[in-house]
Amino acid sequence: MKPVAVTGLGVVSPFGAGVKAYWEGISGGVCAIRPITLIDTEGFRCRIAAEVPDGIGGSARRTRADRLALAAACEALDDAGVVRRERAEAALVVGAVGGGMLEAEAWYWRRARGVREPMPRTLASSFPSAHADVIGSALGLGGPRETVVTACSSGAVSLALAADLVADGVVPLAVAGGVDALTRICFMGFNALKLLDSAPCRPFDRDRRGMSIGEGAAFVVLEDAGRARARAARIYAELAGYGMTSDAFHVTSPHPEGEGMARAMRAALQQAGVTPASVGYANAHGTATPQNDRIEARAIRDVFGEGRLLVSSTKSMIGHTMAAAGTLEAVATVLALGNEVIPPTAQLETPDPEIPFDCVPRVAREAAVEFAISNSFGFGGQNVTLLFRRAA
Amino acid sequence: MAPRVVITGVGVVDGHTSGVVSRLLDQAEARRLSRVCQFTVAAARLALAEASLDPGGGMALLIGTEFGDMVSTIAFVDGYLRSGPVGLSALLFPHTVMNTMAAATAIAVSAKDLSLTLNAPTVAGELAIARAFAAVRAGRIRACLAGGADEPPPVIVNILREAGAGSDVRGEGAGFVVLESLDAARARGAGILGEIVGAAWRALPARPHGIGRSAASRAIAAALADAGADPADVGHVYTSANGDGPREEWERALLDTALAPHRPPKRSLSLPTGRHSGLAARTVATAASEAGDRLALVHSVARGGNQVAIVVAGPDRVGPDRSTDEASSSTAPHPRRRPAERALA
Repeated sequence: MKPVAVTGLGVVSPFGAGVKAYWEGISGGVCAIRPITLIDTEGFRCRIAAEVPDGIGGSARRTRADRLALAAACEALDDAGVVRRERAEAALVVGAVGGGMLEAEAWYWRRARGVREPMPRTLASSFPSAHADVIGSALGLGGPRETVVTACSSGAVSLALAADLVADGVVPLAVAGGVDALTRICFMGFNALKLLDSAPCRPFDRDRRGMSIGEGAAFVVLEDAGRARARAARIYAELAGYGMTSDAFHVTSPHPEGEGMARAMRAALQQAGVTPASVGYANAHGTATPQNDRIEARAIRDVFGEGRLLVSSTKSMIGHTMAAAGTLEAVATVLALGNEVIPPTAQLETPDPEIPFDCVPRVAREAAVEFAISNSFGFGGQNVTLLFRRAA
Repeated sequence: MAPRVVITGVGVVDGHTSGVVSRLLDQAEARRLSRVCQFTVAAARLALAEASLDPGGGMALLIGTEFGDMVSTIAFVDGYLRSGPVGLSALLFPHTVMNTMAAATAIAVSAKDLSLTLNAPTVAGELAIARAFAAVRAGRIRACLAGGADEPPPVIVNILREAGAGSDVRGEGAGFVVLESLDAARARGAGILGEIVGAAWRALPARPHGIGRSAASRAIAAALADAGADPADVGHVYTSANGDGPREEWERALLDTALAPHRPPKRSLSLPTGRHSGLAARTVATAASEAGDRLALVHSVARGGNQVAIVVAGPDRVGPDRSTDEASSSTAPHPRRRPAERALA
């Protein structure tokens, strides 16, 4: 794969707006999972999530998810120093699931209860593709525009697809990332599946009880590495390879042996031309469901061997942010490489003996790592591994 | 040299193909899968059968959709509104995510390579096919089912129309083409229905849900350049015209400007039954079968500015496979029959 550099980062997370707040939160092992305020949780066992705090700004005519996405994409482009003229050629790839459903649900709820009111314009932005149209139009991005929906791996897939466009020479740079605001459908659905813990999630803990959900947005600027060097851009890391596979096994459950996950990790290594021994850190999908963590650990062990790799889960601090997760965790991985600090797994008190890795419990760890992977898996057996190399 | 990308199968299930779904699904699938997932699985099987291709674990899947399984999503929500938390169906919840058709299809046909669902109004199916073409040509995937699926719930269509998202006539259905490299197709003696010779997708300046003011199109020029062709080579154009007057006018202006001074005939397969994302597969296959010795341009543009252009050649331009004449003549499944004939067979 032709070298693709990460030259800009943008985040809106449960720690607030900005990459700085995000890194301070996750490297400090702070848990941002709290009682839900955005939606009614009456009657549900789990009533917590990681919400983005007030003050995200943006026009009220836009959906919450659009505002999260736009703020993160703006920060990434500004961070990369991409000027307006260059944006006309830039690709935009967005990973999304919920779209503007938070507002659409509210309207539909009221309508079902007999409230008759004018139809808000935000209803036209209910679908995931709305974010790309809003970002593209507001920021003048005129290259290829795509919205990818691969459930909880959408944010990671967006980076892979954008990297293809850069590596193939279709565009010199691309803005890619994922976004999801909290929605009732997501909250109710995971409750119905009995996958939510009523306390903040505890990935890789022996006593883990399930996941916590969250919301946020993250975008990165990907750029031809040669071009980035020529313009003296700050290079955070190189996206050295990726793997995308499908389990073709079950709509919600991963393959019990993690076969598809392992294939994704091997494909990323192969594309990057990197041996398993070169990789020092895995930012895991790490949802904290008993099944996912056990199967993911098994797949990591099958590819990288037992014990050697540092493994941690960002979801222990910001919950599972759905389509945003893959990008938020990719950003965490990139920052871990650059800062030589591995973010911890918060709330990890009693390591699960079935997880044969050092999962960096509670406190960040200093570690200089050259290669790191970020895993993301979604409903439908959608497995993605991104492999990053520390900037030279 | 980049591999050439050929079409070796097409399968479409919609209002033109009644009775096909029940024939292509087993009882468990018919019971378990939602309606749009049934369409999608059936269309995938039709396309693979025509291509005589066994996925064997190495098949990729790219599905474009505008609505996903919104019918199931509404049913999920209504369950809660009727009965509270106990009314929620854990079985329906996965259908609220737009990749549910891809998941069902990947399981049904054992497609274990990458699986992508692309969401966009109007252009989703064409975008999936263009993306798949690029991935096969770059050698990232060996073979691919590419197309789309939709089942637009009337209540959502009305909401979108009233909220200012356009007045397109929407239909329901699913459709796929099978894309693979020419070398791979010839190696297994597959019948070749046509070739995709270039594709590009870009965003035109426009406000969300709006029509752009400019008639300058970069996607068409980029697709023609990708194909090594110029406007004079285009013999037919297949548009996304679908009853949204302002959008159709914009599309006409984009095409006329990009192909000037040439004015090849334009047609849309969308009307009168309505457009769905799977129609892109039928359009690409029809464009190939009708291209003759010229090229066909499959074009779509959405409100908001997303634009896709695909340049298609007919089977005659692919040329005979001298090395395997005997093998291919004995195994090719009616390569010159038109897609509509196959779909109705």
